[in-house]
This record gives sequence, C-alpha cells and structure tokens, in this order.
Amino acid sequence: MLALNPETLKKIRRFRQIKRGYYSFLALMFLLLLFAIGELLINNRALIVSYEGELYFPTYSAFHPGTDFGLPYSYETNYRDLKARFQEQGGDNWLLLPLVPYSANENHSTTGIFRPEPPAPEYQHYLGTDTTSRDILARLFYGTRTALFFAIAFTLAVYFIGIAIGAAMGYFGGLFDLLFQRVIEIWSNVPFLYMVIIIFSVIPDTFSIFFRIMVLLSVMVLFSWTSMTYFMRTETYKQKSRDYVASARIIGASDTRIIFKHILPNVLATLVTFMPFTVIAAITAITALDFLGFGLPPPTPSLGELLKQGTSNLRTAPWIVTSAFGTLVVLLTLVTFIGEAIRESFDPKRFTVYK
Amino acid sequence: MSRLWRTGLMGVLLTGALVACGGESEDTQVRDNTQEVLDYYAAYPELFQFKTPADLPADLAWENGMDLPDLGSPDAQKGGTQYGSIQDFPRTLRTVGPDSNGGFRTWLLDDVTLPLASLHPDREFEFYPALATQWAVDEDTATVYARLDPNARWSDGVPITTDDFMFMFFYHRSEYIVAPWYNNYYENTFSNITRYDDHTLSVTLKTNKPDFMHHALDLRPEPQHFYKELGDDFVERYQWRFAPTTGPYVVRDEDLVQGRSVTLTRLDNWWAKDKKFFRNRYNIDRVVLNVIRDTNNVFESFKRGDIDQFGLNLAEHWYEKLPNDDPDVANGYIYKSVFYNQRPRPNYGLWMNTSRPLLDNQEVRVGLQYATNWDLVIESFFRGDYTRMNTTSDGYGEFSHPDLQARSFDIDMAQESFAAAGFTSRGADGILVNEQGQRLAFTVTTGYESLRDILTILREEAAKAGVEYRIEVLDQTAAWQKVQEKQHDIAFVALGVGVEMSPRFWDTMHSDNAYDDAFLADGSVNPDRQVKVQTNNMEVLANYELDQMIDVYADSSSREEMLVLSHQMLEFHHNYASFVPGFVQDFYRIGHWRWVKYPAFFNHRTPSLATELHVHWIDMEAKAQTLAARAGGETFEPEIRVFDQYREP
Repeated sequence: MLALNPETLKKIRRFRQIKRGYYSFLALMFLLLLFAIGELLINNRALIVSYEGELYFPTYSAFHPGTDFGLPYSYETNYRDLKARFQEQGGDNWLLLPLVPYSANENHSTTGIFRPEPPAPEYQHYLGTDTTSRDILARLFYGTRTALFFAIAFTLAVYFIGIAIGAAMGYFGGLFDLLFQRVIEIWSNVPFLYMVIIIFSVIPDTFSIFFRIMVLLSVMVLFSWTSMTYFMRTETYKQKSRDYVASARIIGASDTRIIFKHILPNVLATLVTFMPFTVIAAITAITALDFLGFGLPPPTPSLGELLKQGTSNLRTAPWIVTSAFGTLVVLLTLVTFIGEAIRESFDPKRFTVYK
Repeated sequence: MSRLWRTGLMGVLLTGALVACGGESEDTQVRDNTQEVLDYYAAYPELFQFKTPADLPADLAWENGMDLPDLGSPDAQKGGTQYGSIQDFPRTLRTVGPDSNGGFRTWLLDDVTLPLASLHPDREFEFYPALATQWAVDEDTATVYARLDPNARWSDGVPITTDDFMFMFFYHRSEYIVAPWYNNYYENTFSNITRYDDHTLSVTLKTNKPDFMHHALDLRPEPQHFYKELGDDFVERYQWRFAPTTGPYVVRDEDLVQGRSVTLTRLDNWWAKDKKFFRNRYNIDRVVLNVIRDTNNVFESFKRGDIDQFGLNLAEHWYEKLPNDDPDVANGYIYKSVFYNQRPRPNYGLWMNTSRPLLDNQEVRVGLQYATNWDLVIESFFRGDYTRMNTTSDGYGEFSHPDLQARSFDIDMAQESFAAAGFTSRGADGILVNEQGQRLAFTVTTGYESLRDILTILREEAAKAGVEYRIEVLDQTAAWQKVQEKQHDIAFVALGVGVEMSPRFWDTMHSDNAYDDAFLADGSVNPDRQVKVQTNNMEVLANYELDQMIDVYADSSSREEMLVLSHQMLEFHHNYASFVPGFVQDFYRIGHWRWVKYPAFFNHRTPSLATELHVHWIDMEAKAQTLAARAGGETFEPEIRVFDQYREP
C-alpha cells in the first residue's frame, strides 16, 4: 500500500507542518463535505415534515404534490407556505426547513416584482437576490459545486491521460515518440473554444444537464491533456537511463510495471506541483464559458452567469458581483495554498538555498 | 441567409487573394453598363415601357397630400452635433447584398432616404409627398402615376429623374447585388414601370390589393450614374463607397474611422430642406456614432453625457439604473419620457412546431397555452408596463380581432387538456408522463439573450402545471436558422412588422410554407409530404380550409371581405392554439439629456423609436448651460413626461 510507504508518510507529515496549506486543505475538504450534503442545507424542500402523525423526508425523495399535505394543488408543495400554514393552524403538524429555504431556480420576490434585492436576513436571502429574484446564496452554492466537482474530475482525467501517454512516449522513445509528438503538436493547435461552440451546437437539447456537463468535460479533457505529456516525457527520458530502471528490467519487470511502479513515483514531484494550476484552469474555463454563454443551459446556476449578471448591474446591485467574485477568489486562493504546500512537501530538498 | 453569408465569405476570400497577388489592373478598369441596362430594358418590353406625356390617361385624379398636417415642430433649430452609439461598426456602406442588413442601415436607407410618398404617421393610410409632387392611383389597373419634383437632386448634385426609377428595377432584379429577397420582391410585386418624361412615371403592380399604392409609392430610386460599374464584383466594389442619396445625410470618406466611429453630415443645400413635410425635420448638423459593443457601457457613456439619448424600454433601465430619484434626473439634467404609440406590434410569443410529436396534438397545445404564465412575466418582470398580446396580429386597427383574448395561466385547465391528451400522472420530478412513459417536455429555443430571464420564469411556472420547458438560448443567427430549418420544438421569437394596413397570413400560416405539396387535389393530407424549410411558417401550420381563406384574402380587393376573413383566420388560429401570444409593448421610453429637444407633442403616432422621424433637435446653448450647471451644482426642474395622446384603451 502506497499509504504505508515511509516516504509517503514523511511527505504527509511535512504537508501537515505547512500550516497555511494544511488549513486550506481542511477548509476545502469541509467545503466538499458541505457540497456533498448541499440539498440538506440549501433547498426549498423541507428536511422533515410531520403531517397527521406521519413523517416525510422530502429532500431526496420524489416530489410531494400539495395534496399530500392537505393543500389544494397538485404541483410540488411550497414548504415555506406550508410551514406558515402549520403555524397558523397550531396543530401537531410541523416541519423543518433547511438553513436557506430556497432552490437555485425559483423566483422568490418579497415585493411581487422581480428585481435584484439586497441581502435580507429577515427573508433568509443572506446574499440578496439576482435580477429575477432568485436567491444568490443558493445559486452560488450550486454553481460552485458544479465548478468544483467539474474541476476535480477534469484534473483526474487530464492527469491520467497525460501521464500514460507522456510516460509511454518517454519510455519507448524512437518512432513512437516522434509520431506522437507530431500528433500532439497538431492536436494542440486546434482552437479549443471553437470546438466547444461547434460541439455544443450539434448536441441535441433533449440531453440532460448532467450529460451536457459530461460532454463539456470530455471536450475540455480532450484538448487539455497534451500539455501534461511534455513534462512526463522529459522526466521519463531522464529516469529511464538510471540504473534502477535497468536493474528492474534485468529482473524481468514488464514495461507497465516499470513505468507505473518505478518511474512514476520518481517524477511525481513535478506533476503534483501542476495540479492546483490545472484545477484553477478548469474552474476559470467553465466560468469563462458560462460568461460567454457557451456553458450550461439556463437556468442552471453557475459562477460565470452570476459574474455576468453582476458586471452588468455593477452600480445598481453590487451584491451580485461581490458574492460571485468573492467566492472565486476564496476558492482559487485555497487551491493555490494547497498546491504550494504539496509542492514543498514533495520536494526532496528540504532546505533549498538560492544563490 | 446561409447562402448570403457564404457569398460574403467568398467576397472576403477573393479580396484577400487580390491583395495577395498585388494585381491592380482589374480595379482600375472602369466599367460602363449603360448599354447593358438598355439591352435589359429591351429584353423585358412588358416590364419597361417608354411613352410620352400625351399617353397619360386624361381622367386621372392627381393628389398631393399637401393638406395633411406638418411634421415636427416649427420651433426646431438647425445645427448641433448629436452623439450616439452603434453596436458594431458597419460592415459595408451598401444597402443591399451580404452584411448590409445591419443596424447602421437605418442611417443609409430606412429613416433618411425619400420614397415617392410616405405614409403620414398621424393619419390612417394617407400619404404625404416626398420625391413626388403629385400622384394618381388607378385602382382598376393597380397602377400608380407620379410626377417627380423637378428640383429633386442626388446628394452629388445630379438631378433625380425617371431613369433612376427604371434603373432601380434593373438594379434590384439583377443577380449582381446578391440579394435574393429584393430579386424576388421586385420580380413578384411589380408588372410594369413606364417612363412618360424625365419627371413622370407610372408603376403597375401584379395585384390590386387594397394597399397596393403603398408598395408603389414607397419605391426609392437608385442613382444610375453611380452604379455604372455595377457588375459581378458589386459586393466588393461598392463595399465602402457611399452612394449618392435622396436624403439629408451623407457619410464622407474621412468620417469613417474603421472599427471606431462613423459620422454623418447634413447637406447644407439639401433639395427638400424647405418642403412642407421636411422643413422641421433632420435638424442636426452632425451625427457622431461611436462603436460601443456592450449595452452597459453605452448606458454608462450616456450617464456621463457622452451620448445624448438612451432607450429605457427595459424595466431594469427605467426603474433600477435610471430611477426618478437618480441625481441627474432629480436635478433636471436628464429627462425621462414615455410615449404611447400606435402601430402593428411585433408578435412576441411561443411558436410551436406542430410537425413535432406531442405538439401535433391539439389538446397538448391548448394545455401549453394555459401552462404558460405570461401574466406573471408581465406583472413581475415588466412590472405591469406591458400588456398581454392576444393574437399574432395585434395593432392593425380594425383588422385585428376585436375581442379575442389569449388564454390566461390556469393550472387546472392545463391539466384538464393534458389529461385529455393522455398525460394523467406525474413522474418523480413532477412532470407529467403518459402511459407510454413519454414526458411532457419541450425545448424552447430563443436568440434573445436579453430576454432569457423571461423563459426561466415561464419554466418555473410551467413546472407547476406539469410541463418542462428546456431553455435553449442561442446566438441570434443560430436560433433563427434553427427555426427556419424547422428544427425547433417551440421558438420564442417575434417577427418584425412594418406599418401596414392589414396583417399578412400567407407567410406564417399557409401550407405552402409548411410542406411541399401539403395536400392532394381533393384536399386530403398528402402522406408523403415533407416539411418545407427556410420559410416563416414557424408552426408548420397546414390546414386546407385555412389555406382557402388565406388565398381569398390574398387576392381580395375588398376591404370588407378582408376584414371578415382576417377575423375568421385569427379565430381559427386561436382555436388551433399553436401560438402562445406573449406581450405587447405599446409605448417606447427614453432618457435624454436636457439639450435634446422634442416637439411639445413629443412625437408622431406610428414610429417605434423616438428618433425615427428625426423631429428632435440639439440645443447647443442648452448643452453648455447644462454641463456648466451640473459642474456647478445648479439644478433645474426634473422632467418625467408621459405622452399618452395615442394610448389605446
């Protein structure tokens, strides 16, 4: 097991010593946890409803029509109204709403007019509402969740492809290397943004939002793995000529084993340092695509869409841009701090003196 | 559209190739097509006729429209410079051919050049003279006779004669201009133009529809002397050459700053400047249009005083960005004006493609009518300023239906209709499903980026009735292309409409535009019919009885008959339920700095923009005074003005 390797343990210890990075890491993990249980925190569905002696948990279940709770309509229950109704009736019925009782898509205006409203804790709009009276905190939360999970998936995929192909090029060398280098040169000259636009224009709109995110992810991965191969290739070249590789080969280890078991751990230091930048690139790319209107279909919440709304209402509704921009800054700072710490803890030279 | 675009691209490629080769022999060679034009006239003797004044019918009733009221205000002062903005630098100075249909064309053609006679904006279908001093209408033969003003001059001083009108036909029918719409219009609308002398002509139309004289009197000549070099390379040759105009504004070469700004200059000695209907209009000497791409930046420029006027139609602008208590408004530096106009309304709404599964079901369509909450959009998004549209053709006076009402949002009625179509139970997400497991979900396509919020509101509301609207916001061209290819489920678009006497039905509702050979000879549905693309029948609406009505309507020359048919067809369309009428904006509102002056009555009845008729003027003294006052903290009476003299009840 990799985790038991004393080298790795040393790196982890080192990482924990770098406080700024370590706490950033904890904060990010906490954020990820929040995102994972997001529906319990920010949602217009109640957590628990006790109605006529029976308990309901609507968060993850199928929708409950109003008729389930004695309301006169067949569409999704408005739990905020239901709560008010229960309180009015004063019976045994009760319900528990999440901290922020709004979904990302619903228009909830306090005045009957859809306009940006400043933060109002009394209405539980903690960050205010956007131009069509949707709760900004809810949109921000779910938008960031998409961006962050997207970024993580993106990073993993890019690293997997980049490492595999880069290492193969470096390890096998010769004609294989030569050919693949040319392929990569050509491939990396295909303009990525145009490809996204073209591909998205031909995807049937009946596909679900999740599927569209996956397509966006694949396209981005398809055009982003190339840069990783350069580093892997040179590093592998360097390691390949070392004695330990030769001895592994004499023992009879297979190519795959040599690459992944012997060479990879030795080049990891370089790769890991790139990781935060990849994450940042993914977050900014998806934000930028949304900003340009080529991202996810409305009304999917996204950071880019919020930023766009914010910049076009800079003077009249500054709270929109502040929340979106603030989130982006915090997120990118966290990732950068973590990245710095990882790089430092993987660096075999503990004390480096620059002359 | 795509063909146009391709041709445009070819043009660019060709120019590139020429530049690359450095050849200049072809460019310096001057063509002269005088003979070609004459040969063309000779080749179409039916279309182009040459007669003498003696051949004019004797019993013509000549009109001149001089008894109509003046336009604009006698208080108007000439002079000054107006600052405005355009979103894109014009891609060409041509008014036809690839890329010519941009926003700048209004400054080259629509709002500034003169036809024979124009519709008086305050009257119902009465004309005031422009290039013509007199005209006579012969309803039996669908012919309009006109006498040109002998003083009329092109902006380069050349007299405007009948020859320019003859040439106009050659020009618009030629392949050189790469403008199929014009080719088609001139080919199918007119049957004859006759030259009697230098200043007398007649134009005959193919059908004598009640408003045929509008088509004839609206003709705008083309300067034959300027288009002598007209040929295959028209698109490139005339790309950046300003054509002599009949109107008051010219673009001088030095005023075209590529990519940055265009400036128009008023002709000092414009031939029509003292004419009754023009003397109080076109008052501004110089119009500077800077390229500002982003609307927010345009607004900020306006707020700084770099731009004189800004349209405040959106509630966001009127109430949020420039509220009445904004310092510039409250201190009287910027005026806000609302003007209620009367004109055919663009038909904003949801157009359902009835050739699609589910949407071919009448019950589903009726359900969607009830499931679409336009009332909430009008109430909450437009803040109650707009009104609900009721049919595709509102604002045509008597031709619009007197009492048809669009269906209001009603969840119970919607569910009743959906149930009749087999959608009785809701899935886990609250969307209705039928027994085959089909979800009641449709894609709504639009090209209006600025109106996407409307669709998100409709989507949330429709979910209550058990319908899912998937929103697809595309680039404007892409969205339009998708609709033209009939690839949409539901399209949120509006067709622009000019001021016309009666609504058009053929374009949007006739089966000719829905399918190739929609019906067999006996009126039954042709089983092999294919959807016809690139037409404006966005509903793929094909109904044999409706076709008959449209045909009669199209050929009818009786106003009464057309009225009855118009109402019948609108009723049919209402019952067919394939169009969910959206909203009507029966006003326009603008903010303008104090130095921009409008007549006391503000504007005339029909224009859709305050500046369309050019009745405003700039008071340079007031500008200096206002800017000084603003700097010095001095204030004026605030002005928030409502002009509702033409407001419809």
